[in-house]
Amino acid sequence: MIEAHRLSKHFGPVQALRDVSFKIRKGTITAMLGENGAGKTTTLKIILGFLRPDSGTVIVAPGRVGYIPDRPAYFTWLDGWTILGLSDGQPAGNGEDSGARILAVAADLLFDPALLRRRPGSYSAGNAKKFAYLQNLIARPDLLVVDEPYAALDPPSIKCVRDLFLKLRDAGTTLLLSSHMLAEMERIADGFIVLRGGTAIAHAGIKEWRLLRSARTAPDLESVFLHLTGS
Amino acid sequence: MFDTALFPLTWRVMRCRLVASPLTLAAGLAFPAVVVWIGIRDSYETAAKFFFFLFPHVFLIAAQDMVRTDIDGGALENVLFLGGRFRRFLWAKNFVLAGTVGAYTLLLFALLSAWGLAVGKFSPVHAARFGMGLLAGFYYIGLAGTLSYFLRAGSNALVLLLFQAAAVIGLLFSVTSRTGFLDYAASGRFPGLGSKLLFGGLVAVLPNVVVAGRLAAFGAEVLAGLALSLFVQDRLARGLELRK
Repeated sequence: MIEAHRLSKHFGPVQALRDVSFKIRKGTITAMLGENGAGKTTTLKIILGFLRPDSGTVIVAPGRVGYIPDRPAYFTWLDGWTILGLSDGQPAGNGEDSGARILAVAADLLFDPALLRRRPGSYSAGNAKKFAYLQNLIARPDLLVVDEPYAALDPPSIKCVRDLFLKLRDAGTTLLLSSHMLAEMERIADGFIVLRGGTAIAHAGIKEWRLLRSARTAPDLESVFLHLTGS
Repeated sequence: MFDTALFPLTWRVMRCRLVASPLTLAAGLAFPAVVVWIGIRDSYETAAKFFFFLFPHVFLIAAQDMVRTDIDGGALENVLFLGGRFRRFLWAKNFVLAGTVGAYTLLLFALLSAWGLAVGKFSPVHAARFGMGLLAGFYYIGLAGTLSYFLRAGSNALVLLLFQAAAVIGLLFSVTSRTGFLDYAASGRFPGLGSKLLFGGLVAVLPNVVVAGRLAAFGAEVLAGLALSLFVQDRLARGLELRK
């Protein structure tokens, strides 16, 4: 679904990425892990076309792509319904009534549809994040990229989002999640990419990861992560 | 950079922004009100002169805050603008804004023409002056859009207004009892290259002056300025990255 080959990116004197390569299979959940400043968001932005790599290539298989940033922001003069209406060009696509689809997805996310009459800038951070999920999920993406998937969400919402991820994966959607919540990632991810200082230091599927864990006799993902990153 | 599929999205975003902007709404509504007031208090001819000279400024006011605030605010980091679509969205804004404000001013011109026909003062020259005014308005959008890559909020339009104020004050201070720059401008004949270049500089910051028929030759300069500003914007948009 995604194939990145030797991605490099500078921001002035800072080398944000150096020869990062990985492959992500269709219908899997991949967690991108790394310390602050490791290059996770830069990698995601290159995949999504918001940044251009200095060198290297990214190939994303054809299909609908969704993106949920760490802290979603919107045009300040548009209310929730209008923003969802802007996505009319990429609706559910199966003849389903878009209003009903919006309400169904909002219910899955524990998002109050009454908020849609207001501008997302006035939402709490958690509701703004859920609104970003709503905007993406009504379009049924084939690939969903999420930066800090649980940021600002309360525990019930985290559970809903986790269940949604698993449901999406079972339906064939590919998910790429960038997160610091290692325990959560370990629960749902099929594969991991670990970045450190702009370099991919580990890239493993769940089977390899389990082998890595047992080989290092590490009790959990956190221990392996801390060992790999030398933290 | 043209992506016609983005025009409906751009139109919906821009339409909501224009309606939500008190300054743009006030400028758009106050302008015809002042034209009517001048026509009632003075004459149709004076109102028409005021209209033709100042309607390009409706474009300038509408072109405030076109790019930088969207970038810095993070609104472009949205699923709507993936795969580099944000670049084409920013580019499309020029044309959607030009079309929207152009349609509005065309409506105002139609009303002004109907008024002129009713009082027997309409002249076909007015259509040519309106065309030159549209050109000046499009130039404002191109120039303000280019400045908006560097200046936040409405400061792109404000900078142009400040330059215009400085140019007008400079002109007032330069007035002498002898034949001077304003007389050349009024007659449309400039005795030397220096005064032509000086007037060309004035046209660059205040393109409205080309609506006067005698100065139509400077319309070519405005057209060239429009093409240049769009070219620069195209280069800026192509190199743009969302780093926030």
